[in-house]
Amino acid sequence: MQVPIYTYDVVIVGSGLAGCAAARELKKAGKNVIVLTKLHPLRSHSGAAQGGVNAALSDDDDVELHMFDTVKGSDYLADQDAVELMCSKAPETIRWIEHMGAAFSRRKDGRIAQRPFGGQSKPRACFAKDRTGLTLLQTIYEQAHREGVEFWDEWYVADILYKDGKAYGVVAFNLRNQEPAIFNAKAVMFATGGYARAFKINSNAHANTGDGLSIFARHGLPLEDMEFVQFHPSGLAGTGILISEAARGEGGRLYNKNGERFMEKYAPEKMELAPRDVVARAIMNEIREGRGVGPDGMAVYLDLTHLGEEKIMERLPELRDLAITFLGQDMVKEPIMITVTAHYSMGGIPVTIDGHVKKSPTETTEGLYAAGECACVSVHGANRLGANSLLEALFFGRHVGQTIVNDLDRGISCEKAHPEEAQNMLDEIKFIMTNNGTETTSKLRQELQDTMFENCGVFRTEESLLKQREILKGLKERFKNIRIDDKSKTFNTDLQEAIELGHMLDYATFIVEGAIARKESRGAHYREDYPERDDKNFLKHTYAYMDREGNINLEYGEVVLGKFEPQERKY
Amino acid sequence: MKVTLKVFRFNAETDYLPHYDTIEMSIDPRDVVLDVLNRIKWEHDGSFTYRRSCRHGICGSCAVKVNGRSTLACKERMVDMIELFGNELTIEPVSKKRVIKDMVVDKADFWKKYETVKPWLEAKIDEHPTMENIIPPEEAEKLEESDYCIQCGCCYYACPVVEVNEEYLGPAAFEKAYRFTADVRDYAKKERLEIVDILGQGVWDCVKCYECAQACPKHIDPIGKITKLHNQIFEEGVAKSNVATRHAVGFKKSIEKHGILDEGHLVAYSEGIGVLKHVPEALEMFKKGKIVMPWNMPKSKNLDEIKKLVKISSTVKF
Ligand SMILES: Cc1cc2nc3c(=O)[nH]c(=O)nc-3n(C[C@H](O)[C@H](O)[C@H](O)COP(=O)(O)OP(=O)(O)OC[C@H]3O[C@@H](n4cnc5c(N)ncnc54)[C@H](O)[C@@H]3O)c2cc1C
Ligand code: SF4
Ligand code: SF4
Ligand code: FES
Repeated sequence: MQVPIYTYDVVIVGSGLAGCAAARELKKAGKNVIVLTKLHPLRSHSGAAQGGVNAALSDDDDVELHMFDTVKGSDYLADQDAVELMCSKAPETIRWIEHMGAAFSRRKDGRIAQRPFGGQSKPRACFAKDRTGLTLLQTIYEQAHREGVEFWDEWYVADILYKDGKAYGVVAFNLRNQEPAIFNAKAVMFATGGYARAFKINSNAHANTGDGLSIFARHGLPLEDMEFVQFHPSGLAGTGILISEAARGEGGRLYNKNGERFMEKYAPEKMELAPRDVVARAIMNEIREGRGVGPDGMAVYLDLTHLGEEKIMERLPELRDLAITFLGQDMVKEPIMITVTAHYSMGGIPVTIDGHVKKSPTETTEGLYAAGECACVSVHGANRLGANSLLEALFFGRHVGQTIVNDLDRGISCEKAHPEEAQNMLDEIKFIMTNNGTETTSKLRQELQDTMFENCGVFRTEESLLKQREILKGLKERFKNIRIDDKSKTFNTDLQEAIELGHMLDYATFIVEGAIARKESRGAHYREDYPERDDKNFLKHTYAYMDREGNINLEYGEVVLGKFEPQERKY
Repeated sequence: MKVTLKVFRFNAETDYLPHYDTIEMSIDPRDVVLDVLNRIKWEHDGSFTYRRSCRHGICGSCAVKVNGRSTLACKERMVDMIELFGNELTIEPVSKKRVIKDMVVDKADFWKKYETVKPWLEAKIDEHPTMENIIPPEEAEKLEESDYCIQCGCCYYACPVVEVNEEYLGPAAFEKAYRFTADVRDYAKKERLEIVDILGQGVWDCVKCYECAQACPKHIDPIGKITKLHNQIFEEGVAKSNVATRHAVGFKKSIEKHGILDEGHLVAYSEGIGVLKHVPEALEMFKKGKIVMPWNMPKSKNLDEIKKLVKISSTVKF
């Protein structure tokens, strides 16, 4: 098959906040850049973010406090140099996106309004009602578009060109007609977003299947801290669709079956505004001890009625709508039922503070970059604080764009790509299109999601994790026996879902293996058999590598410490 | 609860004509339309194809039609559909003539028109600002909800003028234009107004049928924005004496005479004999129930806006 090769300075995969921000930076500097995305850019998951984006903007807040809250929230696993960079650039970043058009909610005096979020000492989250992500994504896309960035939407990236520590392009196909192409470039940046889709109850878009991570891992590149998956305390009961932390920020209260405001027991000072890991465990504990509500006792109440209709409509209109649609409950009139939902992934592709992808704890690759939720620059450590990740995606997206500009100016050589290098992807497509097995994508995916939630969820034990390891082995074996119905080349989402399932099975293995090895509890990773944090043995980052047989090997890297000494976390 | 679904199927690669699959399934009271689409794909036929991503009504991917009514699949509850239409539901793409496969349509024309209105803030951007722009809440509110348009296209594919006039930019693009003309930070207000003022493509070709407002799943009221663009065109002195602005002046006359708007007379007033060229359009719309005979004239829902417009247009003299 004739595979066309297109040549660029830079190819970016993903057009959420991180991808668009980087692309604009590159285009402004006169670089020849293309952005590939499997969705239309405006459909990227960044647009679904609701609650807010952090910056120490107001007069009674300061950057150092933002840094401290972030490091403490991370259970001291965050790299403090990265946290410092992000927090100190946060005010400029927010003002920059405001200058570009973001429609933030305003204070009476015309400045950007802020609301409190969990684990933050001050009201620090800038917001646009409860559609913050939408305004940010639209703005950054619009401005990248204005600069003339080339976007190719509904193109699925399936592989990277990577040899001997150097990347020089990606391999992709057009979803519209399965046409393959190679994008040969001096620099490749991944901004493929989150991957909580591996869990049954989750807040994520269907598209969040972690493709970027597995693509890297299949080339022997490491993934970092994958065991840290954040469970958000307020997903709608049943579906897991998110009710933003803004609901608690604006004053929402949690109650159990007996009408007790149970956060009094778990975080007497911060109450509902304790960090997510703390609140999520509290909720699960209430449920496990039989104080849950709802038909199956699997939820708790979130009460917002005391805020009144006017405030709810002014600050949380989208959330009200969601609860009405998916639960039939109107938060103006009654408490709504919520439960924990898999939400965010602290781990990912290891990168340096400037976005260079690492091939080991101490070595970097050449020409390969990542930013946003798929990357682990480790500003969130073991637990992310709310409203820090839009900031991460926007700030590091831009920052990594600038890094690439500098690297290009200094001169990066470009390996020439050859048509045969698309073979990996073509084989993958051919296998799925023609394999005549008996397993279906939906069934395997369902089993993956159910069991990950059960065995590798909010609470974990040696036993549950070892069980999950075996289940994953079985699922991977069964994946070889897959069969899809759709044999056509036109917009074949059957094929796409199968490829995505392959990625999900791969990165899920990293989550489980990292969790088995980490015999302590820290942030979102809670081991019932090791309930204490163990700084002596585990104040370190996990680096995991997959070999050709699919086995995972682990190694550990240093945490960058700094101003803030690790101490016990109390709220 | 059992439903019978008639599902539109077409694959541009293999099919000459579309057909419908009939599928029976039982519905959980919590299901939204997207759950049903997923079940068709995951349990019945993997080749069934549609777009979706966020699954909570914010990304704009999943627009389809249920019994002719455009909607976001992930936000529309099955129980509501059943209550409205009964247990037999037909699921179709938002535009059959643009279908690539099943529910997936080619949106090229939609995005091209989006492009036309310069969909970005025109301003000189401070790359390292130390302060945000100061915008009082009253000023920020002028955007209304227009910055929450998710470009789903429901309004666009429901608009009868889009169906008959390829040039017409359509409600979503106008909505987007308003998003920026209402923004104090934007430099290009006049330029945008000139774009939407052009006859054939612009706001004067809207026939005020309210389909867009009804179709919009985000309650953004595109027609309300169109009326505001009308106002801004006069306020900014962009208006030229042409059939369209005379049309606006005709509003005044119509309202003086009937107390409500009479589309037929209005067109005749502004175009004189040129009105004949609208006959096919009018017939098409009459068939779809989009315009009514003079004796059935309803009261305008946006009377206040119209009154305001009348007042402004009264000061221009043609
Ligand atoms: C419901 C919800 C609410 C949230 N609310 C908040 C909040 O209030 N505050 C906050 O700070 N954070 C919030 N977050 C987290 C935050 O939204 C995300 O972490 C952030 O938006 C990620 O941005 P990104 O640019 O990394 O990726 P995304 O915006 O997810 O973009 C990923 C891009 O990669 C593309 N892509 C992926 N795989 C491929 C492939 N194989 N080929 C081609 N393209 C591909 C996709 O098409 C997409 O364009 C929320 C998250 C969720 C799920
Ligand atoms: S009101 Fe105007 S824009 Fe809206 S659908 Fe009718 S003709 Fe189209
Ligand atoms: S105005 Fe409404 S219907 Fe039209 S594209 Fe925007 S959100 Fe969709
Ligand atoms: S899937 Fe995003 S709007 Fe329906």
